[in-house]
Amino acid sequence: MHRLKTLLSTRLKGCAALLALLAMSGVAHAQEAAETANRWGLGEPASDYGYRFTDLFWFITLLVGISFVLVLILIAIPVIRDRARPGHKASFDHGSSLHDKQVTTVISVITFIVLDAWVLVIAMQDLREAYWAIPEADQEGVYQVEVLAQQWSWNFRTPGIDGEFGTADDILSNSELVVPVGRPVSFQMTSKDVIHALFLPEMRMKKDVNPGDINTSWFQATRAGDFTILCAELCGYAHYQMHGKLTVLEEDTFNEWEREASKLALTAFDPEDTESQWAWDWEQ
Amino acid sequence: MSGDHIHPEPTSFLSKYVFSHDHKVIAKQFMWFGLVWLGIGGIMAMMIRWQLAHPGDPIPAIGMFLFPRTDGVLDPATYNTLFTMHGTIMIFLGLTPLMIGAFGNWCIPLMIGARDMIFPLLNMLSFWTVFLGGCVGLYSLFVPLGANEAGWTSYATLSTTIGAQGHGETLWAVAVFLIGASSIMGGINYMTTIIRLRAPGMTWGKLPLTVWALFLTSVLNVLFIPVIGSAMILLFLDRAVGTSFFTPASLMQGGGGGDPILYQHLFWIFGHPEVYILILPAWGFVCDLLSFFARKPAFGYRTSVGAMVAVTVLSAVVYGHHMFTTGLSPMLGESFMLLTMIISVPAEILFFNWLHTLWKGNLRLEVPMLWAIGVIFVFGLGGLTGIYLATIGTDIFLHDTYFVVGHFHLTMAASALFGTFGALTFWFPKMFGRRMNQTLGKIHFWGTIVPLTFVFCLMFAMGYSGMPRRYFDHTSAEWLADLQHMNVMATHAALLLGAFQLVFVYNFIKSRWWGPAAETNPWEVGTLDWTMPTPVPYYNFKEIPTVHTGPHEFSHPALGDDRDWIPMTEKLPG
Amino acid sequence: MRRPILYVLLPACVAIGALSSFRGEETEPASSSAAPTAQDEAESEHAEVVIDVPRHFRAPHNVNLFVEEDDRVRAPADEEWYERQSELEPGRWSYDEDLHDGQGGWIDAEGVYELVYNEEEEEAFYWRNLSKEQLTRGRQDYVQFCASCHGFDGDGYGRSAQHLRPGPRNFSQAMFKFTKVTQALPSDAALIDLVKRGLDGTPMLPWHLSDQQLDDIIQYIKTFSAPETGWRDLFIEIGDVVEAEDDPWIGKEQEAITRGEVVYHKDASCYACHPGYTTPARMAELRGEEAGTAYRDDLSYPALKDSSYTVLDYPVKILPPDFTWHTARAGVTPKELFETIAAGIKGTAMPQWKGALPDKDIWATAYYVNHLITEYLGKPDKRSAFMNALRRDQ
Repeated sequence: MHRLKTLLSTRLKGCAALLALLAMSGVAHAQEAAETANRWGLGEPASDYGYRFTDLFWFITLLVGISFVLVLILIAIPVIRDRARPGHKASFDHGSSLHDKQVTTVISVITFIVLDAWVLVIAMQDLREAYWAIPEADQEGVYQVEVLAQQWSWNFRTPGIDGEFGTADDILSNSELVVPVGRPVSFQMTSKDVIHALFLPEMRMKKDVNPGDINTSWFQATRAGDFTILCAELCGYAHYQMHGKLTVLEEDTFNEWEREASKLALTAFDPEDTESQWAWDWEQ
Repeated sequence: MSGDHIHPEPTSFLSKYVFSHDHKVIAKQFMWFGLVWLGIGGIMAMMIRWQLAHPGDPIPAIGMFLFPRTDGVLDPATYNTLFTMHGTIMIFLGLTPLMIGAFGNWCIPLMIGARDMIFPLLNMLSFWTVFLGGCVGLYSLFVPLGANEAGWTSYATLSTTIGAQGHGETLWAVAVFLIGASSIMGGINYMTTIIRLRAPGMTWGKLPLTVWALFLTSVLNVLFIPVIGSAMILLFLDRAVGTSFFTPASLMQGGGGGDPILYQHLFWIFGHPEVYILILPAWGFVCDLLSFFARKPAFGYRTSVGAMVAVTVLSAVVYGHHMFTTGLSPMLGESFMLLTMIISVPAEILFFNWLHTLWKGNLRLEVPMLWAIGVIFVFGLGGLTGIYLATIGTDIFLHDTYFVVGHFHLTMAASALFGTFGALTFWFPKMFGRRMNQTLGKIHFWGTIVPLTFVFCLMFAMGYSGMPRRYFDHTSAEWLADLQHMNVMATHAALLLGAFQLVFVYNFIKSRWWGPAAETNPWEVGTLDWTMPTPVPYYNFKEIPTVHTGPHEFSHPALGDDRDWIPMTEKLPG
Repeated sequence: MRRPILYVLLPACVAIGALSSFRGEETEPASSSAAPTAQDEAESEHAEVVIDVPRHFRAPHNVNLFVEEDDRVRAPADEEWYERQSELEPGRWSYDEDLHDGQGGWIDAEGVYELVYNEEEEEAFYWRNLSKEQLTRGRQDYVQFCASCHGFDGDGYGRSAQHLRPGPRNFSQAMFKFTKVTQALPSDAALIDLVKRGLDGTPMLPWHLSDQQLDDIIQYIKTFSAPETGWRDLFIEIGDVVEAEDDPWIGKEQEAITRGEVVYHKDASCYACHPGYTTPARMAELRGEEAGTAYRDDLSYPALKDSSYTVLDYPVKILPPDFTWHTARAGVTPKELFETIAAGIKGTAMPQWKGALPDKDIWATAYYVNHLITEYLGKPDKRSAFMNALRRDQ
């Protein structure tokens, strides 16, 4: 016990001091350096499947946390109890008896089921119900967005009030996307040059955008507001500046917005400027 | 066969120290090579962290010297080069030469009872090939437009001439190819040596687990380096000759006809086994070190070997977990998720065996043992966080965020590095005939593990909060600017981590030339390498020994009370 | 032991290779329904011109990274500019009255700027000398940072510039929209300012490069001018950002906005291109015209205008911004708006207002536009209420 106390007192004191020093200096520095709020973690999700990420994450954390604490205890006990000292001998055990092999198998199976299989089932559900359940093109109310990524910004095209891509009233914008709340927003995306990735953190959506190919993704917003668009695949030196603004509007405001945007797009449309026209027929 | 006769001693300076065929000299060449590159990669890491915490500020001390044109500040292109080369250097020029080149070369012949590797000339060539690869990589830093900026993964089309126009990227591909060639040479050598040159009585069941691990590492090297070699050839052709293996037919206009995703498949078919290549030697060291310093047999020898073999076999079929967001078919995605979870089972088995080795042992907490236990800690932490990334539901959000960076640094960098430090401090007395300072070693250990855990656990928080990786400046996007405090804390800890490595550098260099003389077998371990005198003669064994006992027969009841170990050449009493 | 491994691993690798080339329903290659091809275009209503041979068919090959020869480009002709430089760097400049047979001029001790006599014109002109070392550095940085949009030959049609409107600058045209200078070409300071500030709402981001890098890049860009044009034109004028120091409306912002509304709709008739932000009735009132006067159709919408900027030789049309909807490119504070309005936007229908309107009125307009932006931009509900109210009476 006394040994335990000395052990804890010197080593742990040292580590605790180191950690405290680190944390304090970092926080102090950061407080003075940034005038923004210091965020830890994520805010509320803004998409209807957004809760799945945090739910699964914390569930895994629970499992992993318990496991890790267990591991720490299993390290700590021998380190404290079984330290070499005069007269103390190790217990000789090759661990190769049948009993040992059986125990190993059982523990492995249980670990797999608890840590992996359980999580696997939840994840597969999430994928099939949400992340990869891209709405069909003819589904009611789907808002379609074509995304053309480039170094280093996003080009968004929506069909405008006529609902068809490749017409004069298609709404085009650079790095700003406006979508309605409560309707599924479906993306088809490609890139002009290198691989990018469309990342909507508050919506918990991420999908790579590859040149020469069309990738699909979707989300449905649950509340109005301004959100962030980020790029999540290294695409060159200005990868960090490839961000944009996602605006989610209430239904009425959105309809009004879409009418106005279509009208403005129509006004800006130059039929002879063929090089600027880039839509593709929506893939089924 | 080189096991039978003793070849004449090399006499000239060149044949003794430069173009030596002696595996021990080659091991030391690899070791110094790896340590120097580890240092360079580490300095790059410090610069990266500096920029992240203090965007736009000149790098202190070395900034004006390295980057005069930007007044000591990193510009975004240089930053991209830094993290790219940091990854490339640490993996290919730091850890691989150190763990596999240095310790593979040192341990294998000595531990199996052979006079040298079976192909000594090939061995020498493998060092000079990696040296050449390093030179090419170094040269690429100084060409117009600088070195590779596309990340160590270097995805097409960013790595084709669409994304990178200078020679740096092409030279990088050549360097990786050369380093790969060196690894293949080494792999063939190790495998064949272990299969053919084991001393009589050294059965597969009596091999130290270090040798088993290095054997499996060599299998992976030989099988999968050719895949990255082919990827590099195709990339080189795309860049230098104008082929279109990876340049697609653009949607808007025709041409190309290749597929950038092909590159990703090729890269990760190699890339995932590569991370096992990096960790298996460390696992081998840990298995042995835990047994040696707990004075107990390695728990579940056959199970551990089986686990390592299972990981080796499965390593190729899990690579898709790096590509979950690229748009793989759902069936393929889910298969990879399942397989990745399955591969964690043998790793868990190995882990339990480690813990069981400690249990009820007689723990000598010397510096190598601290490092081995450190591996258990960081690998446990890092491995458990792999579950988040294997699970597609969480990986979609966490992909390409700092969560991944934290995960692979703990599992790959920290675990392999700690294993390496354990191996270095353990074999130092036999390699150089001197003892490293134990107190400095312990200071280095604690000064490494605490800040390291802090930095990379903080990265889990960063990733969870949505901070993407490979960003030059997180304050550019408003939503990320709120996370800057984490960057500052991580940088402080990282700088501290970097500073403590100087303790090791000092300890290593000072002990190498001025350290106290070491006994022949200071750790009281029975493997064949420790039966050698110090310094080990160039021919290793005067007479090839016969092995009677296993490597981990510590505290065997038949040994009585005066000693708890037995050399492998002795028979167990009774 | 070894053979079983090979017999298991080899087929496994082959199987993986085969599987990985199989791509599921999620990502079908787009060949079947690609972008409007030439044929699609002919069938659809809106295109008669067929896209020419694709420019970005293949990945770039052997991009040149070196400049072999020294070069020179025009420097500002205005003596006052050199006077200002000599105040900033006194040791470097000296004035010689007898230079070039009494024409007189400034001498740069560093040899970068040089007054060179031209035999034909019988006059001396200021040039800036560019060494091949500097141009090489500029070329390499240009390729690294700018060429993806602006093209390896500076023609504004890099790979990432495809289908982009507004198009990236074609540097051989030597014409810039937002450098805020009243002369034909911007000074180095004005260009560097623009690159650092970026153009809001476009892919021209604010670039975080050092002053030395930016200087080298900008000098290199000047060399894209064809002989006798742009920066090689003997008579071209180069100037700094238009001065915007004396804001006469400080403390009187509300009055500025009121005056601005009048200038916008009456004195400058901005509504000819930009939206008119009043009802026709109020417009007539502001302009002192008869009630019931008809103004252009779609008064509250902007009108598409021609420009001198070309993409692949096609002169693109530009939609003047609706300040309540589109992002103003070159800044939204009254000072920045003053600079943009005063200098005009070269090559477009937005004229230079400095000289055409008194400064005080330009300031007032700037305040008015700033008011529109702060009140309505990014506030869809408020904006639609405002615009609908205007349109109700049309």
